[in-house]
Amino acid sequence: MTSSVPDSGLASGAVVAGEEYRLSRADLVRYAGASGDFNPLHWSPRIAAAAGLPGVIAHGTLVLGLVTRLLAGWLGDPARITEVTFRFVRPVVVPDDGVTVTLQARVAEHRPDGRLALTVVASVAGTGCVGRGRAIVRP
Amino acid sequence: MTERVTEQLVVGDVVADHMYWITRENLVRYAGASGDFNPIHWNERVAKSVGLPGVIAHGMLTMALAGRLLTDWLGDPAAVVEYGVRFARPVVVPDDDVGVAVRVAAAVTDVRDDGLVALELTVKVDEQKVLTQARALCRLPADRPSQP
Amino acid sequence: MPIDPSIVGRVYPPQIYEVSREKIREFAEAIGDANPAYVDTAAARGYGHADVVAPPTFVMIPVMNGFDLLMKDLGIEFARVVHVDQRFTYSQPLPVGSRVEATTRLDGVRAVAGNDLLKIRTEVRGEDGSDICLSEATLLVRPEDSDGGDASD
Repeated sequence: MTSSVPDSGLASGAVVAGEEYRLSRADLVRYAGASGDFNPLHWSPRIAAAAGLPGVIAHGTLVLGLVTRLLAGWLGDPARITEVTFRFVRPVVVPDDGVTVTLQARVAEHRPDGRLALTVVASVAGTGCVGRGRAIVRP
Repeated sequence: MTERVTEQLVVGDVVADHMYWITRENLVRYAGASGDFNPIHWNERVAKSVGLPGVIAHGMLTMALAGRLLTDWLGDPAAVVEYGVRFARPVVVPDDDVGVAVRVAAAVTDVRDDGLVALELTVKVDEQKVLTQARALCRLPADRPSQP
Repeated sequence: MPIDPSIVGRVYPPQIYEVSREKIREFAEAIGDANPAYVDTAAARGYGHADVVAPPTFVMIPVMNGFDLLMKDLGIEFARVVHVDQRFTYSQPLPVGSRVEATTRLDGVRAVAGNDLLKIRTEVRGEDGSDICLSEATLLVRPEDSDGGDASD
C-alpha cells in the first residue's frame, strides 16, 4: 500500500492512477441500500425503459465513489483527497451481465500550496467518456 | 391492568386483520435493510433461471409484515415473546407499481393462565396461504392501543 | 452432492453485531412499520424500555451473518437456498447501541427428494452473555445442478 506518493517528478499530463472497475446490477442494488438512493432507474429495467434508457443506470454517486476509490488506492490515506468535482456526461448503462468502467487520473497542475490538481476521466467501452472531473489531493 | 385486557379476549377472536402491499421497490429496500441481496428478490432473469415464476418477496419480509400486524395491535414490539412461521409458498411480486396484496389476520388460539396470549396468523395471497404454522405468543401490555 | 451428515453439530465462531439506531430505523422503514417504539426513545420508554427497540424480525440480520458463514463453509450459493421455516423466541429486546453475539450451530441435515434440509439454531446473546433471542430455522438447499444458470449475480 502506498503511504506516501512522490510529490515531485509528476509532470503535467502524467497518468498517476488508472483502473478498470466492473459494475453489476447487484452492485447497484447494494449501493441503493447503502446510500438510501432508491431511484428505480437504478434497479427497475421496466422504469428505465419507460424513461427511454436502454437499461438500468449506475448511480452517479457510485461512479464518483469509484473515483475516490481510485484516488485513495493511489494515495493510501483517503483524507489526502481534499476536493473532488465531477460531471456526469452520459449515463452508465449496466446490462444484466455488467459493465466495465475505466477510470484514469492525470496530473493537471502543481499548486503553490503543494497540492496536486488531477483530471479524472471515466469511460465505458462503446460509449466513450461518461464523466470527467477534477480532484485536489495532498500527495 | 393486564388481566383486565386479557379477560376480554376469547379463543377464536380475530384481533387484527390487514392488507399489506409488497412492490419490487419494497424488495430492493428490504434487501438493503436486511443485507439479503439474493438476486431472486430483484432480478427477473435469475428468478426464472431457478424455476420461479418471477421475482419473489423475501420470506422474512412477509414474516415481518405479519409480525407488524401483531406489533401494531400490541403497541409494544417487545411484547411478542415467540414468533414462528413456515414459508409455504413464494410470494411473487409483479413488475408494476401496485405490487401484490398480502392479507394478514390474527386470531386468538389460547389465553393462558400466565397472561400470555397465543395467536394464529393467517397470511394469504389470492386466497392461498403463503405462510403456514404462523404462530405467536404475546404479552398484552397494559397500555395497548385500543382496537379500531 | 448431498451434504455430509457428519457435520451436524458444527458450531461457527460467534459473530459480533452492533445494533444501531439508524439500522433499526432503516429496517422499520423497509417493512413499512411506523411504530414509534423503533425511532422515538420516549415512546419506547412508555413501554418500559431503556431506549428504542428493534422490530421483532430485525434480529434476522445478525442471524443471517451466521447463515452466511455456514453457507460459505458448506459451499452453498444463496440462490440455491429456500427458507422453509423460521422461529424466534425472545428473552429481551435487542439493546440499541450495544454489541450482540450470534452463535450459529448446524442442528440437523436431512436429505428429502434430492434436496438437503438444514436445521440451524442461532443463539443471540448480549455483551453480558444474557440470552436475547433464539432463532430456529430450516433451510432447503437444492442440488447444484438444478439451477439452470449462474444465479450468484
